[in-house]
Amino acid sequence: MARKNIINLVSAINIPLKVSAAILLAFVLGGCATTGSAEHTVNKDDPYENVNRAMYSFNDKLDDYIAAPISKIYNKVTPQFARTGVFNFFSNLKNINVIVNDALQAKFSQSASDTGRFLINTTLGLAGFVDVATDAGLELNIEDFDQTLAVWGVPNGSYLVLPILGPTTLRGIPGTVFDVAANPSTYLGMPIQLVSLLNTRATAEGSLKFIDEAALDPYVFTRESFLQWRKNLATDGKSEASLDFGDDIDELNSGDKKIATKSESIRKDVSKDNHKLELSAPLQ
Amino acid sequence: MNLKSLKLVLVFMISILATSAVYAQDDEVATAKQVVEKFQSELIAVMKDGKKLGYAGRYQKLSDPISNSHDLTKIARIVVGKEWEKLSEDQQQKLTDIFIRLSIASYAHNFKDYSGESFGFDSEEETTRGGVVVHTHLVIPNDKPVKFDYMLKEKGSSWRIINIIANGVSDLALKRSEYTTILQREGFDVLMSKINEKIDSYSKL
Repeated sequence: MARKNIINLVSAINIPLKVSAAILLAFVLGGCATTGSAEHTVNKDDPYENVNRAMYSFNDKLDDYIAAPISKIYNKVTPQFARTGVFNFFSNLKNINVIVNDALQAKFSQSASDTGRFLINTTLGLAGFVDVATDAGLELNIEDFDQTLAVWGVPNGSYLVLPILGPTTLRGIPGTVFDVAANPSTYLGMPIQLVSLLNTRATAEGSLKFIDEAALDPYVFTRESFLQWRKNLATDGKSEASLDFGDDIDELNSGDKKIATKSESIRKDVSKDNHKLELSAPLQ
Repeated sequence: MNLKSLKLVLVFMISILATSAVYAQDDEVATAKQVVEKFQSELIAVMKDGKKLGYAGRYQKLSDPISNSHDLTKIARIVVGKEWEKLSEDQQQKLTDIFIRLSIASYAHNFKDYSGESFGFDSEEETTRGGVVVHTHLVIPNDKPVKFDYMLKEKGSSWRIINIIANGVSDLALKRSEYTTILQREGFDVLMSKINEKIDSYSKL
């Protein structure tokens, strides 16, 4: 039932039929994979992990072979100020959606400040290419329909990785449909949208590199940071449930003594390692 | 004894007194806020010398400040969650050991140079379970500041960091998902070799 819903939702946002077929195929493949590894505990946020992983590696390959090389060329032929300008232009157009969602979430003073931001950047900021508003103290707010739905009490539902579009949740799909419809750049036509896409990929270079560097399991790393980031946005930074790991710590206290005495010997090992590193690491 | 040597003796005595005063302060229990601020200032100091020190130098300089301000053995245990019980004592020891090295290596890799960054204190609050959260932010010139919230627990008579939340993303939660997933899907040996690879690439990048 849930699977059918997802496919319906996906086709609702006008993703070409081919892509829906790919998702369907992935579910079938995922189904096979699941039966093969039944002993894994299912993550409650990510019940379709096997399908999502397949989609994640599909997107990853797509990025490696198509998006990354194009983005590399784009980065070479455009100066930094032009990329910042393009980023500002599209970010300014998104402001209309931000203002609408501010209002839907009853954040009226923020809605007023975002309206000011939009007006200043569209006029003084030369149609949005220069972000004068931030310098004037009107910070960029990130609001979208997914956050509005969260404020209205809609749970986020399962984590999903969509082809090309990447990480989202069940709630994120109607969220994206609304945001796309409320974004003027949607109606600007294909070449302009392509520039937006290119520029977004080029701007994301740093984050993507960081995931590569920091993650032991890039799929899980992306999922966790995405879900936490969205939760943090939806609650405007007030979600601090994840701050306290009290349950685990209390549960662990009984064995602490044994570990504490061991830690001293590890510290010694670490300092031994330092010397090794000092000798073997090349001078920078 | 002429005036000049008297002056020298006085200066000498004052400096002894001053150092012992510093030691006395060290003996007092540092508050959670002090633990965080001491660590942050040590980190900034290493960043300032970062290029000159190189990776190995930063690793060595950060080793004690990190071990003294974080409860790395406890963090290592939390990140594997319930899987901890399934590990042999030898595996637990190996995991704790390598986790400490990874933590220091990732600091040494990520904080390699200095371009005017500084930490600022925002507020401090107690959690319901006897922990303290210290809210701070990192000011980066020409960029948005990054929120750093430190969660501390009492270990013996001192406070130790057990989690860092950067712009709302909890390091502990992130690591916990990664480690438990790898342990469940691929097992202990794969986890160890992945961590080893990571430490290795940190030392080269």
